[in-house]
Amino acid sequence: MTWINQVVQGVLLGGYYAVLACGLSLMFGVMRIINLAHGDLVVLAAFIIWLIVEQSGASPFVATLITLPVMALIGWALQRGLLERSLRTGMLVPVLTTFGLAIVLQNAMLQAFGADMRALAPQIGDLAFAGWAIVGEIHVGQLSILIFVAAVLLLGGLHIFLRRTAFGRQIRATAEDADVAELVGVNARATFAAAAALATATTALAGALMAMRAAYDPYSGPVQLIFAFEAVVIGGIGSIWGTLVGGIVLGVAQSLGAQFHAQGFLLAGHAVFLAVLAGRLLVDRIRSGEGLQRTLGLDS
Amino acid sequence: MKGRLLRTEGRSSKIAGLSRRQFVRLAGIGAGGLALGHGMSRALAQTAVIKVGYIAPQTGALASFGEPNPFVLNLIRKTLEGGVSIGGTKYQVQILDRDTQSDPVRAGQLARTLINSDQVDFVLTTSTPETVNPVADTCEAAGVPCLSTGMPWEPWYFGRGAKPGEPSPFKWTYHFGFGTENFSKAYLSQWSGPVATNKKVAFLMPNDADGNALRVIFKPILEKAGYNVIDPGPYENGTTDYSAQITQFKAQQCEIFTTGPIPPDFAVFWRQAAQQGYTRMVKIAQIAKTGLFPSQVEALGSLGPKLATVAFWHPTFPYKSSLTGLSSQQLAAEYEKATGKQWNQMLGTNVALFDAGIAALKSSSDPRNKQALVKALSSLQVTTPVGNLAWGKGPVPNVVPMIFVGAQWVKAAPGSKFGIDLVVTDNADDPNVPVGSKLAAYNG
Repeated sequence: MTWINQVVQGVLLGGYYAVLACGLSLMFGVMRIINLAHGDLVVLAAFIIWLIVEQSGASPFVATLITLPVMALIGWALQRGLLERSLRTGMLVPVLTTFGLAIVLQNAMLQAFGADMRALAPQIGDLAFAGWAIVGEIHVGQLSILIFVAAVLLLGGLHIFLRRTAFGRQIRATAEDADVAELVGVNARATFAAAAALATATTALAGALMAMRAAYDPYSGPVQLIFAFEAVVIGGIGSIWGTLVGGIVLGVAQSLGAQFHAQGFLLAGHAVFLAVLAGRLLVDRIRSGEGLQRTLGLDS
Repeated sequence: MKGRLLRTEGRSSKIAGLSRRQFVRLAGIGAGGLALGHGMSRALAQTAVIKVGYIAPQTGALASFGEPNPFVLNLIRKTLEGGVSIGGTKYQVQILDRDTQSDPVRAGQLARTLINSDQVDFVLTTSTPETVNPVADTCEAAGVPCLSTGMPWEPWYFGRGAKPGEPSPFKWTYHFGFGTENFSKAYLSQWSGPVATNKKVAFLMPNDADGNALRVIFKPILEKAGYNVIDPGPYENGTTDYSAQITQFKAQQCEIFTTGPIPPDFAVFWRQAAQQGYTRMVKIAQIAKTGLFPSQVEALGSLGPKLATVAFWHPTFPYKSSLTGLSSQQLAAEYEKATGKQWNQMLGTNVALFDAGIAALKSSSDPRNKQALVKALSSLQVTTPVGNLAWGKGPVPNVVPMIFVGAQWVKAAPGSKFGIDLVVTDNADDPNVPVGSKLAAYNG
């Protein structure tokens, strides 16, 4: 029963990771940018939501809806003002740019909001910790379920948007080959900016959920980034449903690892991440015609 | 190694009647004089200046520890505005404050720069081993007096290479901070108070310096005192799901819960414990490390009040700052008035550091002589908000243990500016501290 509980908790945790990861995945899938400031954008969104709640007394859910377009605008401005320029110089500069952006964001948030720890949990009352007893020792938190449902809706919505709408097709085409997309009349620059806006808008949801389930301060971003990054890699970069699968695999691996030993939590997550990464590299090399023996270095 | 060389040279190898250090200083003054002849003559005309370095985290992960510092520095600078007279000479005290950005490597570098470039006479440092230890090590090596606080004394003393039962290896560094003994006394007294339990203790400690120290030192003390300690083992900081530990605590029906996590992790743990129904069986929830600052408890919403903790300073402490003349109560009130923020324990502690530091300067025969200053530190007696500190009485040389009282976070009284309040619930470590109210059960 304990093991079943661990799996259930792991799956629910995976939903949270998926929300955290989907903006990162989108950003990489479309623009080929590993956004190292993703975690800090999540924290920034959480601060904006907190500010709205604090100033107006609005519910955190309403504040999240208001923050979505704000973050989208920030994403658009980042792409136009910063990332687009740095992309012209190759792969490395955008990584450095987002790294620098992360540091600027952290310290700017310290200046603006102070070092205090914040959470939105007090504002949602009992929902933060209310739970349902399912059977026996299995309890699920109402908030965990809410987060999981939000993850499925967000990723499902994105999936439908990218697959079924004309604009989604434009984004996919531009991601595939921006030059060819331009030949058939797509404005690649505008499409990239829209994709960045969309990816950054998801940080509003991620920030809200983080602030409800945990607590944060201006330096909480990098930790969020690690789990998001692992979920993206496990699930397959740029794949929408893959992000959910990746999040769940990561969450279940972690909670099962913790059942073996308390230190197994992070270890199991990192181990699965490395195993998947190594497996992918191996498969890629075999597919590219190097053959299993050469890949493993057995032929020499 | 470099520091030791410098020191022996300073003592023995005199060049033309000057020690090496005096020679270097003279050479420096000479060069400075050449460069700004005009400015130099003006500086000489002024009163003598004592330079005091102050190293603390102001930004980064430890930024909350530094929150009272702008207020404290302002208060101290104002107090020292007219200068201090020591042994008939008037001195200006110049405080050079530096931010470690929560980085231990940078803390050491800052200390080196203060010593080598700014030529400080004295270094004060506070808040966590990551700040204090590298600074103290640098000062010890360079032979510059250093006074510190804001961390437990054992990791300061033994963590920097001292051995139990042997004479202290430290000549230049002094410290005041609570120790395991104060910690155990406060905990055990708090747990044998008005709240009855089944003496089963859920022991959730991370795999970091503090967590492991508590596991090694504190767990056996609990077991000896008759508690049944359930320890699921060290977990890594940054863990986002604790169902494995919670299941174990629930199965064992642990009515006492104790922990020393980083604050964001505790928020996740405690909410999940509530989701899984564990918090409802807890009678005493005793937290350390997290819950030092009000915002960390407020972030827990309705799960925050009635968490028990321990305090090394509280506005009801019957001690005052000898330098500023403010009582603990006045200090907290001034801080809340000036900043609009609720008082926290680092406020009293950091003011105490300046109380002790300036008192040491005053009681030394010559404050700019480093030997005379450490001599003054070794037998210093001073009244500070955190208590009357007196060096030279043990537990080890260089260290004065701070008082540690049991406390509990409660909902603030109606009409208060703040949501929650800390009350003293147990004074086993110092009966002079008034008990504000009895410990209340977490559920009840």
